[in-house]
Amino acid sequence: MGKVLVIDLSICNGCYNCQVACKDEHVANDWSPIAKPQPDTGQFWNKITDKVRGQVPKVMVTYMHTICMHCDDAPCIPSCNVGAIYKRDDGAVIIDPDKCRGNKMCLAACPYPDVIYFNDALNIAQKCTFCAHLLDDGWTEPRCVDACPTGAFTFGDEDDPKIRELVAKAEPVLMPGHEDVKPRVFFIGLPKPFIAGAVFDSEADECTEGAVVTATNVESGATCTATTDGYGDFWLRDLEPGTYNLVIEKDGYLPEKTGPVDAGEDINIGDIAVWKT
Amino acid sequence: MAEDMSKTGATGERTLVRDISFCGVPENGSNASMVDVKDGRIIRIRPMHYDWKYDPEKDMNPWKFEARGSTFEPSMKTLIPPYSIAYKKRVYSPARIRYPMQRVDFDPDGERNPQNRGKSKYKRISWDTALDIIVGEMERIKKTYGPTALLYQCDQHGENKVVQACHGAGRKLLRAWGGFTLQIRQPDSWEGWWWGNKHLWGCEPVGQGQQSNLLYDISRNTELLLFWGCDQETTPWGWQGQLPSRLSYWWSDIGIKQIYVCPDLNYAAAVHADRWIPVLPNTDAALYLAITHRWFTRGTYDKEYLKTHAVGVEKFEAYVMGEEDGVPKTPEWAAPICGVPARVIKALADEWAGKRTTVVIGNGGPGIRGPYATEPARLQAICLAMQGLGKPGQNQAKMIEWGLFDKPDQYAQPKPLRVPNLRSAYTGGHPDETNHPSFIPKTYVPKAILEGECDWYGCESETAPRENQFVHYKYPADGCSKIHMVWTDSPSWITCWNSGNDYVRAMRHPDIEFMFCQHPWLENDALLADIILPVNTKLEEDDIAGDIFSGQYNLLFPEHKCIEPLAESFSDYEIAVMLSERLGLLEEYTGGKTIPELIKYGYETSRCDDLISWEELNEKGYYVVPTADDWEDVPAGFYNFYKDPKKYPLSTPTGLLEFEAQGLVEHFPDDKERPPVPKWVAQGISHEETLGTDRAQKYPLLVISNHPRWSVHSQHEDITWLREIETCKVTGPDGYQYHPIWLHPSTAQKRGIRSGDVVSIFNDRGTVLAGAYITERIMPDVVYIDHGAKWDPIVPGEIDRGGAINTIVPRHTTSKNAVGHAVSGFLVDIEKTDLEELKRKYPEAFEKPFHPCAGPGLEACILGVE
Repeated sequence: MGKVLVIDLSICNGCYNCQVACKDEHVANDWSPIAKPQPDTGQFWNKITDKVRGQVPKVMVTYMHTICMHCDDAPCIPSCNVGAIYKRDDGAVIIDPDKCRGNKMCLAACPYPDVIYFNDALNIAQKCTFCAHLLDDGWTEPRCVDACPTGAFTFGDEDDPKIRELVAKAEPVLMPGHEDVKPRVFFIGLPKPFIAGAVFDSEADECTEGAVVTATNVESGATCTATTDGYGDFWLRDLEPGTYNLVIEKDGYLPEKTGPVDAGEDINIGDIAVWKT
Repeated sequence: MAEDMSKTGATGERTLVRDISFCGVPENGSNASMVDVKDGRIIRIRPMHYDWKYDPEKDMNPWKFEARGSTFEPSMKTLIPPYSIAYKKRVYSPARIRYPMQRVDFDPDGERNPQNRGKSKYKRISWDTALDIIVGEMERIKKTYGPTALLYQCDQHGENKVVQACHGAGRKLLRAWGGFTLQIRQPDSWEGWWWGNKHLWGCEPVGQGQQSNLLYDISRNTELLLFWGCDQETTPWGWQGQLPSRLSYWWSDIGIKQIYVCPDLNYAAAVHADRWIPVLPNTDAALYLAITHRWFTRGTYDKEYLKTHAVGVEKFEAYVMGEEDGVPKTPEWAAPICGVPARVIKALADEWAGKRTTVVIGNGGPGIRGPYATEPARLQAICLAMQGLGKPGQNQAKMIEWGLFDKPDQYAQPKPLRVPNLRSAYTGGHPDETNHPSFIPKTYVPKAILEGECDWYGCESETAPRENQFVHYKYPADGCSKIHMVWTDSPSWITCWNSGNDYVRAMRHPDIEFMFCQHPWLENDALLADIILPVNTKLEEDDIAGDIFSGQYNLLFPEHKCIEPLAESFSDYEIAVMLSERLGLLEEYTGGKTIPELIKYGYETSRCDDLISWEELNEKGYYVVPTADDWEDVPAGFYNFYKDPKKYPLSTPTGLLEFEAQGLVEHFPDDKERPPVPKWVAQGISHEETLGTDRAQKYPLLVISNHPRWSVHSQHEDITWLREIETCKVTGPDGYQYHPIWLHPSTAQKRGIRSGDVVSIFNDRGTVLAGAYITERIMPDVVYIDHGAKWDPIVPGEIDRGGAINTIVPRHTTSKNAVGHAVSGFLVDIEKTDLEELKRKYPEAFEKPFHPCAGPGLEACILGVE
């Protein structure tokens, strides 16, 4: 019976339909007793942030999503001193807009940023409801999911085999010190840093294809390899954040070492010349 | 899901199917949406579910692509963009015009003060007064100068309406009235294709490649997709929705490589690119030439194909190899011009030659809307030709307007059993109409008014054939008057066309004795009018619509009004009816048909009347056209031409691919700006807009400007839920939401500009303010800004606060003999704005009130707002 939401960042095109549909549903519409209206601007029960990764020309964008995790052990529920926050049978965590007294305990208790907002005009805390008012009216999914064009959002029953399969590929976002909150929102494709660059034969002024680039983590010694394509490009993806030393090798060429490279964030280390032996 | 989603009534809501798309041509509807209404209010707008009232297997003949071990199926819902979902904010916008208005210092019987247009405020008047003034002015102008003194600006783009005619409802009325001068919207977004490729490969009426069944062909046969100045995550949204996005993800899944060639990491490149090749704006011609040089040098092209399919190859080769001008067009030659390293050009040329490659375009895209756009457009086609255009997997594909102008060869998606067509019931203006003897290409309107005369070639309509480009025209036409009155129902000239500041000056010229505008929102050119009439949005009207651009399934549906018209607004068609009544032309104008009769007539002539009855259509609320059984058999793109060019010739004079254009040889043999054989044209008599020119010493940055991500041209600029998105607006220290300009960190640093700063973009045509968005998504020394921002003049014709970059784009056309506009790829410089100094200098402009989240609205322009 419990519902889960899976957000696949690898097929999110950043159209913001989810954020906008949430506003279309909740701004100027009163869905009491589930939710009162959301302010027109500045608050996002379903928020997207553009994460621009890398440097010219090795750049990509991952669209990050922030939404209430509807935790099974939600710290906001016991934090409320008037008992306004409850969990429904379907897993949705709801702040009862009539019971809320604006004490803001939940804002402090929630481990996730940008999830619970405070509506000054109504003096209540507000957040995503999984569109429970629609689920109660026969809908099978919230507005954000219906509005998503690419299938990046999937909402369903945790016992459904298809959903279980998807959840198995996904991971929750857990905040330090709050690893046991049991979120009901899962993500696929959470970004990890990349090191990218391009290898070229300086004498011939040609891109070097087929060079093997090996990155070694300075602390752990873990390695990762990539092979350059027709443009000499390599992308070492999904790295653990850290410092790496790189070796570029290709038959007939002198090995080229470079580093240390700080891969705390995505980085393009630029064009690297190699020389024939 | 669909069954549950269709539930209505439980909460007393009513669900209506509406076309919420923005192309504004009757056969081009899309973005079918479900609008839930209750108690006279719009509750929500959401995707429309095809299977609401139909069984997909039984009723829709679903299509699917099976390729490389994977299957792609269309979605069971429409893939509408965010501004369709947010459309109720547009309906209830603070910029909505509520009642007729008159400029306070315009007196038809006294001082008209044309010099104050764009500056003066407005007062409320009654409909009777407004119509009396308009009809009085029409009759006076006609008596004084003749009817051609009235210029009617009524271009497409706007809400998609059929019977209620968004734009152009007055054409039929003015013909009955005795004539007028028509502003012909020169074919925009197609500049290079229209003025260039029609001479190379024909492909009437637009000049883009044949599209039939290309989505399936790519899926099965293509190895490499080159997205060239194409952003399928932006440009198609308002036209057709987001199927291109889903397809692009799937093409990556099945191993089709995607390379994006563009100065900016556009929204599609940001999520789909296997490689981004940044190229300096409007230098693609040099890049294509270097690619062909590599192919000629190494013999890596299809010589046999060219022998049977092309003419003029040897002349082109002579130019490329430097035999003509002593300059071989090598990768090393091109690299400093286009900003792409020579070794990357070589790698690109080699990969293209080695893989089945389709080039993908997003209509114009910025890459094909610059000075001399004919050259990169033709050179792209030459590259395709050299590798065997039309072979499986090797075509030019579009990510937009699948099915344009009702032409089967434009149907890139699986063919439907029937294409609904509502042209017969359409009451607006169509792109294929002309108006002999009196018309002016839209690009020439400011020149015509400011200089009093001008002449040009071609452009008698947006769909005029190639031969029309050789016909000479002039303004005023023989026996016709100069312009003394302007009627606009599509008031977005300033922010969408060439050198908007010139247009502002033209509309303030004393020759323009009267200007009136009808529009739902007070924005852009409306701020120049003497009289303004309020139009309602489509959600306040009954109509009929087809959804034919989605690429998924075609739809036909009657449209019922969702809410009552706001305040005193009427539809464009109703306004034309009111005017025709006063002019004594009512019967002639309406043909005796009421709006409900026109709607039913639309159904009867839709081509679908034998597939569903009128009663069933109304009962179900919509009709899904099934896919044609034989859709897989439709030959893809140029396949027939590739197989047998004699049997399936192109519409060029020789029927072949003309590397040397025979028509240009005959009519413009000495044209240096559009020569018979396409070339790299750095500068000429029309333009000096490249790096390395003298002008670039003064204005060292190149601007790239694409269609906007968060609006459709000038539409949707007032939607608060979009304006709070980081890439939509940048809030300045004064609380005003500025239009973003993208700067590379190195470009910003050189100028001491920080993220969020208000900056001035300027050249010799004026100044535009913007908000700095510093990002790695743009290459150094290039800046990116969307066109279409709402004009908010500080000094009309000189300085704009709203970010309307088109106020300072080149005033000259594509080239001397091609009257397209050049709106991307031009020179500016940028500096941090001294806001305090500007405020001291122009206090009135900065005292105008604005909505903190919706931007400039009615408030700033009205005396005594209620």
